[in-house]
Amino acid sequence: MHHRPAVEIKGLYYAYPDGTPALRGVDLLVEEGESVGIVGPNGAGKSTLLLHLNGILEGRGEVKIFGLPVVKENLREIRRRVGLVFQDPDDQLFSPTVFDDVAFGPLNMGLSREEVAEAVGRALREVGLSGLERKSAFHLSFGQKKRAAIATVLSMNPDLLVLDEPSSNLDPRARRELSELLQGMRVTKIVVTHDLPFVFENCERVVIMDAGKVVADGEVFDVLSDEALLERHGLELPCGFCPSRFERDERKTEKHTES
Amino acid sequence: MKHAFLDRYSHLESPVHRLDPRAKLVGFATLVVVCVTTPPRLYAAFVAYLGLEAALIVLSRLPWKHVLKRLLVVLPFIMVVAAFIPFFSKGGGSYNLGPVRISGHGLLILWNVAAKSTVSVLAVIILSSTTPFSDLLGAMEKMRVPRLFTSLLSFTYRYIFVLVDEAQRMRRARDSRGWSGKWLWQAKVVGHMIAALFLRSYERGERVYAAMLARGYGGGGVRTFYAYELGILEAGFAALVALFPLAARLLS
Repeated sequence: MHHRPAVEIKGLYYAYPDGTPALRGVDLLVEEGESVGIVGPNGAGKSTLLLHLNGILEGRGEVKIFGLPVVKENLREIRRRVGLVFQDPDDQLFSPTVFDDVAFGPLNMGLSREEVAEAVGRALREVGLSGLERKSAFHLSFGQKKRAAIATVLSMNPDLLVLDEPSSNLDPRARRELSELLQGMRVTKIVVTHDLPFVFENCERVVIMDAGKVVADGEVFDVLSDEALLERHGLELPCGFCPSRFERDERKTEKHTES
Repeated sequence: MKHAFLDRYSHLESPVHRLDPRAKLVGFATLVVVCVTTPPRLYAAFVAYLGLEAALIVLSRLPWKHVLKRLLVVLPFIMVVAAFIPFFSKGGGSYNLGPVRISGHGLLILWNVAAKSTVSVLAVIILSSTTPFSDLLGAMEKMRVPRLFTSLLSFTYRYIFVLVDEAQRMRRARDSRGWSGKWLWQAKVVGHMIAALFLRSYERGERVYAAMLARGYGGGGVRTFYAYELGILEAGFAALVALFPLAARLLS
């Protein structure tokens, strides 16, 4: 495994226009190929942090993506390499058809018609929505919308996939499909969620944020089996969920043999 | 929730559906302009316009029921206003209908409004039922309609029913808590709901814009993918739909 940094954040501060502080000195390093879960109570600044990863929000401090500082001159390149999937798919799918939505990023990148059509076809195949190109997002099921939202960034060939609450509001089957989809993708991933079992399945590392700061950072099993730590930050595993059993499952061994 | 989408049936297979939307846009726009500028006494011309539209409906395999339904949605609004004209207008000879006097001039105005609105509304129905909305927008862009305008239409088309659903949910939540709408103080609640809906839309707008920026949007309107090309069929169609009414008008 190469240890090049995908995300470097040092001392990031951000306050909303009304003066409410959202981030109070965030430090975070994510390496290429990693899959990191970010958890924490509502209002901890998780989503705000995500919006800094491609320069939609700009705070005080240093943010580098694949070595590029997030400044105006680099935004084009950074937004191509960072695929940000928003929580509400109705925000992400704003075009009259699914095709237009998935083509939006590639068209902005200035690809040719053939390349755009190719990229859209590939992205929709990857999320299992081929054949729905001409549909309006309004007519999709919620699970399909979530996957379509992911396709809209996959078509740009991102090196870093950033997902805000990917499993929220999904029924168990759609959640399972999404989880499998993510596990099959070989890019660097950052997932913000309240769904701790989802983190167990999809991430090797987890970061806990609270009140605008990173308060814990470590291997998934170590962090999420520390009940006192979770409770201090308003988190808890679902009733009956046993981390140690999960740990011994096939997942760990499989991950290690693969890499 | 179910909604009546503007471009229902626009994904059928027919010669009209397959045409480049630009040709349809030009053809139908000309038809409408020729029709509304036709003097009302040229009855034969109006018959020709309707005949052309009937032929196009058959050619495009649209269900008649769908076309008539759409027509019935729009026409009453126009007719309610126009239906009174014969009773209040003067001149042009008059007819006695029992105790009521009907003016011939007014009758001609009514015919004028009825015929022209029917032909025009039918043209819009055929256009929107044979062309997916996104392709219509693409055609407008290709024809140099400002991107700002097409983007606005596109967002309206995408979010209008999201908004309707949102309002619907708010109403249910309100009614579930015993709102009856009988008391004057309850009127205030409606005001609050409208304000809440506005704020929600405003915030959604900001989130959508963030999602656009995240995918490399750099201003200058939304670019879309246009998959049609103009050919001999398009030229023929535009010529037919534009020139036939013109000829009918000049000859009658």
